[in-house]
Amino acid sequence: MADLSIDLAGIKSPNPFWLASAPPTNTGYQVQRAFEAGWGGAVWKTLGEPVINTSSRFAAVHFNGQRVAGFNNIELITDRPLEVNLKEIYETKKRFPNHAIIASLMVEPKQEKWHEIVKRVEAVGVDGLELNFGCPHGMAERGMGAASGQQPDLVQAQTTWVKEVATTPVIVKLTPNITDITVVARHAVKGGADAISLINTINSLAGVDIHSWNTIPNVGGQGAHGGYCGPAVKPIALSMVAECARDRGVGVPISGIGGISTWQDVVEFMLMGSTGIQVCTAVMHHGFRIVEEMIDGLNNYLDDKGLASVTELIGKSVPKYSNWGDLDLNYKVVARINEDNCINCNKCHIACEDASHQCIDMLTNAEGKAILQVREEDCVGCNLCSIVCPADGAIDMVALDSGVAPMTWNQRNQVISGLNGSYSEAEVV
Amino acid sequence: MSAFDEFDQERQAIDTLLEQGYQVISIAEDLDGARVTFAPGGPGQSPVELLLLTADARKHVTTVVFAGSKPAAPIETGI
Ligand SMILES: Cc1cc2nc3c(=O)[nH]c(=O)nc-3n(C[C@H](O)[C@H](O)[C@H](O)COP(=O)(O)O)c2cc1C
Ligand code: SF4
Ligand code: SF4
Repeated sequence: MADLSIDLAGIKSPNPFWLASAPPTNTGYQVQRAFEAGWGGAVWKTLGEPVINTSSRFAAVHFNGQRVAGFNNIELITDRPLEVNLKEIYETKKRFPNHAIIASLMVEPKQEKWHEIVKRVEAVGVDGLELNFGCPHGMAERGMGAASGQQPDLVQAQTTWVKEVATTPVIVKLTPNITDITVVARHAVKGGADAISLINTINSLAGVDIHSWNTIPNVGGQGAHGGYCGPAVKPIALSMVAECARDRGVGVPISGIGGISTWQDVVEFMLMGSTGIQVCTAVMHHGFRIVEEMIDGLNNYLDDKGLASVTELIGKSVPKYSNWGDLDLNYKVVARINEDNCINCNKCHIACEDASHQCIDMLTNAEGKAILQVREEDCVGCNLCSIVCPADGAIDMVALDSGVAPMTWNQRNQVISGLNGSYSEAEVV
Repeated sequence: MSAFDEFDQERQAIDTLLEQGYQVISIAEDLDGARVTFAPGGPGQSPVELLLLTADARKHVTTVVFAGSKPAAPIETGI
């Protein structure tokens, strides 16, 4: 069995599975039950000046029979006094000394406010701090959360203030509600961040009730924008993690968050550069015990791969994530339909005909059976037919040996400008 | 005509010129495609310009130049 323990910027945890700062980490009762179930760490529900929450506050997007494809909330940070939370953190840490407890913090962007809260939470023995510059709603309207997380200089300044007094590692949690997340990540690092975590929730409105015309969710008929999370946001989170992981100006460990529900998701986030991961929505949907399956799955996967430690996964796919301009334009794949597995639904033909390159022919084979066949020379290898095909193994995407040397868009542009440079010289001569 | 046939016609035109000794000396890209200028490879030949429309032919011509050499030293073109 592989070693699942991780060390994220000095924060040690028996496994990479942490609960994200959210309703599941609201109380000591919950966090202790989570640790009993197998979670390796927990980022406590964000501490700050206690707020008052609305009722209702959650909504979900169900898609085609799958419940909670996406999850939306207008909840704020903790509504309990700091002292109550600190007492429970202290007790939880005492019971679970080897588990990671991270205090998530959000206060106004003022040096003395940060100094005060850091000193008070570190006094009860947390393993690290997470600065919440992410919540897109409620707190942002008061100059906190995403409002300061969208201003790189403010992220840097606040991180610096925290680092002035912090004795434990400082993780800066980033908002995805920004054009280029690496800019903020770099400023966090300039401010002294020991690690970053991402993503917090994405600005959203879950829906509108077409009968009452109310927003979903609504508070007495009025709605406000919320934060989106859950499986639907995973690709966005993963790309932001990847961008930060490959950015040399960032260069600190990453705690990956966003739509993680299975052990496979965990592997993907770690391969893309996360040292550990955090989960919220999947626990809100299925409860703490989903971690059991995640631990088993990860263990089996590591054994199958012959890996002794989960840390061997970290960042292994990062070098495979590059720029569009560096992709090989001469690489060619084509679709191939496997008659044995095809159920003749024609979805691939329709997709290719209506939305791609019109190269799946409907033919009749020697036995008089209707078959579909790809004209490979016209196929651009877009993948659409294999994406829409409902039958496993009916369409393979096959790499062809084009027989020509690889050439990227950037190399091609160099060729053209080189040529045109020599041409103009020739003209001058 | 299938996309492949359109490309194939343009590729043949490019390859024929190259076989005859012509050399690609400039590629100008605009909204209409790529205008490729070929310098003569020998006596009796005059410069030729091809307007390439298909993406694959535009890729092919640059691949040929890319694979064949680094951008060549200035060529006496006479144009
Ligand atoms: C109801 C709810 C409350 C949340 N509260 C906080 C919070 O107090 N502090 C924080 O940093 N993130 C908060 N989050 C964001 C989560 O920690 C996490 O970043 C986000 O949900 C993405 O992860 P997921 O897709 O696994 O849910 C909250 C999320 C939800 C759904
Ligand atoms: S890969 Fe794209 S172009 Fe090729 S057959 Fe499928 S849908 Fe058509
Ligand atoms: S979509 Fe798949 S199953 Fe349907 S006709 Fe095409 S190959 Fe066959």
